Amino acid sequence: MAASPVLGSVVSPLQERSIIYRTLGKTGLKVPVVSFGVMRSDNPGLCKAAYENGITLFDTANGYQNGNNEIMLGNFFKDYPRDSFILATKVKPAGTSREGKPGNETTAEDFLSKFNTSLSRLKMDYVDILYVHDISNTDMLEFKPIINAVKKLKKDGKVRYIGFSTHRNEHVVIDAAASQKTWDVILTSYNFRHGSLNELNEAIGKAAAAGIGIVAMKTLAGGGFLDKEKTRPINTTAALKWVLSNPDVCTTIPGMTAFDHLELNLKVMADINFTEQEKNDLIAISSDPGLYCIGCNNCVDSCPMNLPVPDLMRAYMYTYGYANPAMAKSLLAELQVSSDPCRNCDTCSVTCSRNFNIKEKIADVTRLVNIPAEFLA
Amino acid sequence: MQILHIMRKRIVIAFIIISMSASLPALDINFPEIKGFKIHTDYPVYVPDNLWDFINGAADGYLALGFVDLHVAEYKKGKEVIKLEIYRHSDPVMAFGIYASERSPSFRFMDLGAQGYMADGAINFFKANYYVKIRTYSKKVKTNQAAESLAVKVASMLEGESELPSVLSLFPEEGRKHNEETFINESVLGHNFLNKAFKVPYEVGPDVFFVYILQTASPKESRKTVETYLASAEVATVDNKDKYMLNDGYNGTVFLAWKQNKIVLIQGLDKDKSGLAEKYFSLILK
Repeated sequence: MAASPVLGSVVSPLQERSIIYRTLGKTGLKVPVVSFGVMRSDNPGLCKAAYENGITLFDTANGYQNGNNEIMLGNFFKDYPRDSFILATKVKPAGTSREGKPGNETTAEDFLSKFNTSLSRLKMDYVDILYVHDISNTDMLEFKPIINAVKKLKKDGKVRYIGFSTHRNEHVVIDAAASQKTWDVILTSYNFRHGSLNELNEAIGKAAAAGIGIVAMKTLAGGGFLDKEKTRPINTTAALKWVLSNPDVCTTIPGMTAFDHLELNLKVMADINFTEQEKNDLIAISSDPGLYCIGCNNCVDSCPMNLPVPDLMRAYMYTYGYANPAMAKSLLAELQVSSDPCRNCDTCSVTCSRNFNIKEKIADVTRLVNIPAEFLA
Repeated sequence: MQILHIMRKRIVIAFIIISMSASLPALDINFPEIKGFKIHTDYPVYVPDNLWDFINGAADGYLALGFVDLHVAEYKKGKEVIKLEIYRHSDPVMAFGIYASERSPSFRFMDLGAQGYMADGAINFFKANYYVKIRTYSKKVKTNQAAESLAVKVASMLEGESELPSVLSLFPEEGRKHNEETFINESVLGHNFLNKAFKVPYEVGPDVFFVYILQTASPKESRKTVETYLASAEVATVDNKDKYMLNDGYNGTVFLAWKQNKIVLIQGLDKDKSGLAEKYFSLILK
């Protein structure tokens, strides 16, 4: 690498660094533990810096920037040998329901049309990995029109490996996919604050044992900060190393838009051991409860009054997160709770994995019950 | 009496929101009706915490551009479906930024809001601090006409100016590629110290290049930004010098000029094209 004012002073030249590679399941692809989530980068210079510093897997999607992201990558990679990089893109089936089930508009025709548009934007004859974008329901894993379409693309050589991405209900769909022979790769959200971590680790382990390559996304738990005011940044390298401490995770795709992001991630690519500072920061951020329920459901059945605590926490989020008290009131009515459901308990015995003061939060939201709906609609 | 009731209701809503929520005030949306279609509003109001649930990884791009909330409605008539998404951003420049990031010059542009277009069953436009996306997968002419009608009604319903950001008028016309203008809120050219730039591609003869205009809060901030940038490229700042050429690593050669609260960057030109860069600097910073 030529001496450069960008990266040169911080990152050692490629030949002097030992990059950590892992094998992406049965694909046999050897990939650095850090890959590039290109999703909102519009800078070919950053892609060039990543490529020349050893990153080989670049991740985009048909929908990112309405296709402009794929166009940028296509223009960038047209000058490089096709076998020198791994290109992954995603296509989302149309018309899925909120629960992730296929609908009337979920057709192979639409899916293939979008995929061909992606190939055209990327200026490529094939992509290395095609993910079915956003599978959160096992119905979709068995939806023949889409499954047969991706299998045919693989058979026709337009796709080398097929997979899916998931960031809701991950452990359920990964567990189900592990028993199928369809999938080569799974891209899943995975981070230190994940709500169903034990179940997800188990599902990932099962999928990895079945030869499916696991790629992690959302490694920063959905943002680089712990608070809405953006005053408490997450230690990004600690978060990334935490993900990579699971040997079943082959690589990660942190989003990068700046050279300083890249510099930090390139260091992780060569060394995934925690520094003392990273250990301390990880302990601190892991114990931060955040503002809203993560839906772990650990509290279910722990309330002596049998209150539906996760649902009440959802109502709390509607009120304070979405600023939509009408929606919260509607949910409260559905749940048939009173305006002071905790009145008979002096202390709260509900155990919350985030250490929320459940009683206080329930009181904060259930007072909506006494406000007439007409004032909230 | 009815007016009094409405006023009372609005006051109570405002009170509830202010007293209960730490977020921005909720947006009170009355989705317009379309004849023959039934409105379904089963979706939650999406906020930064859960936008991923709706648009997956694309959410990061929205969050980087001041996303506030998203209201979704579906219009259904039998199997015909039109989906309406109203994204609210923190200000009109941010709304332009997200709109422009998803725009292509090949789309069919329409007189809708500040600017809009139609492409493959989608009608997208922005107005004030709103970015609106309307989509149908139907091939029926009537359904697509209904989607167009809905777009017009939503554009009329949303408050605010229907104007493109005024900075765009500073970009010279010669060689300018229209409808490819973008706004970058953070990390212009990948540098965390360069923020809030409008970017326009140009093609002049054999030269293809990009012009960036950054507006700062003050001349002092401009100077500080320029000094930081030059220092990163190991270029010394010279008093009273307002134009530089620097080697910006993987970004290649960058020409820079600044005046008062504006910084102009030109990237993509060869080193020997300083004359062309000078011409654009003069036109922009006149």
